[in-house]
Amino acid sequence: MTNWRLWIGIITCSLIVLLAILGPVIAPYEKDFMEPTGYYYNGPEDFGVHSSPYPPSKEHIFGTDQWGYDILTLLLYGAKYTVFVGIGVALVRIIVGGLLGMWFGLTGREGKKNSNSIFGLLGSIPAFVILYFLLIGITINSELSTLELIFLQAFIMIIIGVPGVYAAIHSKTNELKKDLYITAARALGAGRFRILWKHLLPHLKGTFLAMFVKEIIIVLTLIGQLGIFNLFFGGTILRLGGPPVYISISREWAGLIGQWRSFVYDFQWILIVPLIAFLLLLFSFYILSRGIEIRQKAILQKYPHI
Amino acid sequence: MRIALSFVSLLTFILILAAVPLSLSVIDGNVTFSFESMVLLAKEYFVGLWNGDSFTYQEGIDRVQNMMQDIPAYFLTSLRYLLLAGILAVLIGLFISYWYSKTKQEWMKDIIGFLGTIPDFILVIVLQMGVVFIYQSTGLHVARVASRSADENAYLLPLITLTIVPTIYLIRTLSEKTYDVLAEDYILHAKAKGLKKPFIYIHHVVRNVLPFLKADLHKVIAIMMSNLFIVEYLFNIRGITAILFDGTMYQYNLTVNTLISLVIVYFLIYWSIRLLILILERVFAHD
Repeated sequence: MTNWRLWIGIITCSLIVLLAILGPVIAPYEKDFMEPTGYYYNGPEDFGVHSSPYPPSKEHIFGTDQWGYDILTLLLYGAKYTVFVGIGVALVRIIVGGLLGMWFGLTGREGKKNSNSIFGLLGSIPAFVILYFLLIGITINSELSTLELIFLQAFIMIIIGVPGVYAAIHSKTNELKKDLYITAARALGAGRFRILWKHLLPHLKGTFLAMFVKEIIIVLTLIGQLGIFNLFFGGTILRLGGPPVYISISREWAGLIGQWRSFVYDFQWILIVPLIAFLLLLFSFYILSRGIEIRQKAILQKYPHI
Repeated sequence: MRIALSFVSLLTFILILAAVPLSLSVIDGNVTFSFESMVLLAKEYFVGLWNGDSFTYQEGIDRVQNMMQDIPAYFLTSLRYLLLAGILAVLIGLFISYWYSKTKQEWMKDIIGFLGTIPDFILVIVLQMGVVFIYQSTGLHVARVASRSADENAYLLPLITLTIVPTIYLIRTLSEKTYDVLAEDYILHAKAKGLKKPFIYIHHVVRNVLPFLKADLHKVIAIMMSNLFIVEYLFNIRGITAILFDGTMYQYNLTVNTLISLVIVYFLIYWSIRLLILILERVFAHD
């Protein structure tokens, strides 16, 4: 049986990456184009005002938001931030956490479990709350440029995520270390680095790949949760004077959901479009991870007796 | 001793975390971090513990409120939602994972797995939109989209969200464990002795899956806590997390006390579910 999930995952993910790269080129409007509000007069019976938000139409496939920005254009411009930050942060987390985990898993003595309780306690304060406290002072109406802010935010996200990857790889390495081929390699005089590179890494390759894709989903979720609390990737503009308005500078997808999350009752296309885009993004990474998982499972199969 | 040590480190962590927004700032394009103001805030908090200042907070411009009077109501609201959702999640999770572990249909796993990847905030927004859509097309008012006041809390949708996410996590992990348990030799032995399937399940499978549930419980409740923030925020529930994001003015002692109450909520939930597991053990794993 062909692993169709893997193929669909690979195809959709590459399409999304392509879209993220080419987004600004194929966008139908300029980044700051606003559909003007105005009058129309076609006859004594047929006149009135047209104003944003415009519903989906031929000119604006996904409609415009409350200020008249074309939603498709915003999505295409913002895609690169969402996609590449998700992939980049996950990749660095896996590389740093994985290498450290393997190294200390090999050197460490039998797995001590006393770190368990403190990790359990930390569970009472979720990761995005920690991020929230770290970012609230520097994200809203920030003096930093978008790019600086993105690097800073990505850096903090990497640091928050590394311990999780480290712990998983550390315990896995501790398990593998007991296997005979490691003992044999050791007896033959292989150094720690050689064991890591030639024996552990090939064995953990599949695990790393599966973890990487799952980590992308975790990072995207984290960005989304921060977006709900008005901390957008690339910075937030806060306009006061009247009800506070939060605007995402980078037009990153989770940020768009966050800034438009109150369009639940009316003009729902404004919220539905980025929501579907974000879900499609998650779905393509998910189906990819399922494909990898099934391929892994086929190698290490067990069968139930009843 | 170790427990005391981890409590102290957690408290230090909270004191530091709550001070970060006040000590981390951007001045002239440079990120600056003031360690002194952090120490100062913590010191002020401890002095405040002595004379009671740490238990008051400012509301609006000039009203000073006593936290010990106000926090319990928020606290109980959160606790109520979490307890209900936690118990439901464990029971439904145990029930479904048995059936789920045996399905050969990979597409079922695809669907449940994808439901598990959908972030909680998207689930909330989709549920809210669904209710609005049903109302707009049929005029039927299925559930409250959000709480209008503390006396008129939305219940159905928040509970659905709070239950679904940990349940799916439990189904995914427990079904794997159930699958492994089903592949063990003692199950084969029981089957060879001619024991009926329900009997084997109740007496041998459940009791061997429960330890994994216990081990995974911290993770499950961590997921629920993270959900609680999103759910209370988007459904406008006046729970413990709502204090953190009420945001007229950042108050250090209020934040610290809220975070500490969150830890207390966490432990109450943790031990209540442990109690539930204990009861399940009495039912399924008694000798």
